[in-house]
Amino acid sequence: MVLDEKDNRNVWEKIGDYFSANSIWMKWYCTGCGAIELPPTMTSRYDMERLGMGPMATPRQADVLLITGYLSTKTLRRVIYSYEQMNSPRFIVAFGSCTINGGIYYDSYATIGRLDKYLPVDLYIAGCMPRPEVVMNGFNELIKMIKKGQAKGWKHYQENYEWYKKNQLDSLGEVIIKDEFHE
Amino acid sequence: MNSMNNTINEIKAALKPLKMETPAFRQIAVVVKPDTVHNALSYLKQKGFTQLSIVTCVDWIKESEFELVYILFSWTEGIHIQLRARIDRDKPVMVTATDIFPGAQYYEREVHEFFGVEFTGNEDAAKPLFLEIWDDLPPLRKDFDPQAYSDSKFPMRERGNEFVSEIGGHDDE
Ligand code: SF4
Repeated sequence: MVLDEKDNRNVWEKIGDYFSANSIWMKWYCTGCGAIELPPTMTSRYDMERLGMGPMATPRQADVLLITGYLSTKTLRRVIYSYEQMNSPRFIVAFGSCTINGGIYYDSYATIGRLDKYLPVDLYIAGCMPRPEVVMNGFNELIKMIKKGQAKGWKHYQENYEWYKKNQLDSLGEVIIKDEFHE
Repeated sequence: MNSMNNTINEIKAALKPLKMETPAFRQIAVVVKPDTVHNALSYLKQKGFTQLSIVTCVDWIKESEFELVYILFSWTEGIHIQLRARIDRDKPVMVTATDIFPGAQYYEREVHEFFGVEFTGNEDAAKPLFLEIWDDLPPLRKDFDPQAYSDSKFPMRERGNEFVSEIGGHDDE
């Protein structure tokens, strides 16, 4: 997504962004191989809690949705559900080359190519798989972006909802989840 | 080893296989005619092969055949048996094994979903299992082209300056 550099937040939004940047709760949607890099990032070796970040149990309470790897169409439906349950401001961080262009699953019949067609990604962390240093660096970057009001993916999603919906429907058929375990 | 030889001889007498071999230690591979698969499975279950480890399928597209593979294990003898049968690729039909091994349900659904094999007697075989809304050839058939499907469904990122400038956008400090 091309960043709109103009800062037109009012003072309350600036204050809100300042605080939310300092206490980020994340929902980890660990879809691909990438989840394995998160325990070292969270625990004492790299200790992301010193940035004020922590994992959260449900999407409704989280600020950041972390998507760690390839998404099959089946998972993407659930990710879209999770994302739409989150409260604004909400941010998406996508890990790994699979979310950027499909990675090694570029020709798979079951996994999507690029994630930002379906959901607004604020920050990509490239690599297959990105190491914890890169992950921490990415979180630093995200904090800066939120403070400066540049992480506007959720606004972009609201404003271009039709475009996103159309892409979702084109690729997924329908977004509604119907499976025998939820009937 | 004796019990192994006995088992081999008994199976040979009972199943009259088209082909039989022992590919590895305490493993037996049997090829039978497709219409005897159901009998063979129930015979083997009585013989103590109570665990059905997998039901899967191989696409022999040049011979225009599907080969169904059943792998059974006997906990009393410690022997694996692989039971194979070839069916016609254009009209793939097999009798269900769910009345002998109820757990075959999920394997049969999987084989139906990925290869399009019909299982007579199993009403649930056509229910989707992994693929939620599928609208093409069963994807593990050799004549299905995953690249073409992926290209038509999941647009890729156009390579150009766009990506470079996106990275440049963050470099402002
Ligand atoms: S980018 Fe690499 S490590 Fe990450 S999900 Fe894809 S294949 Fe796995």
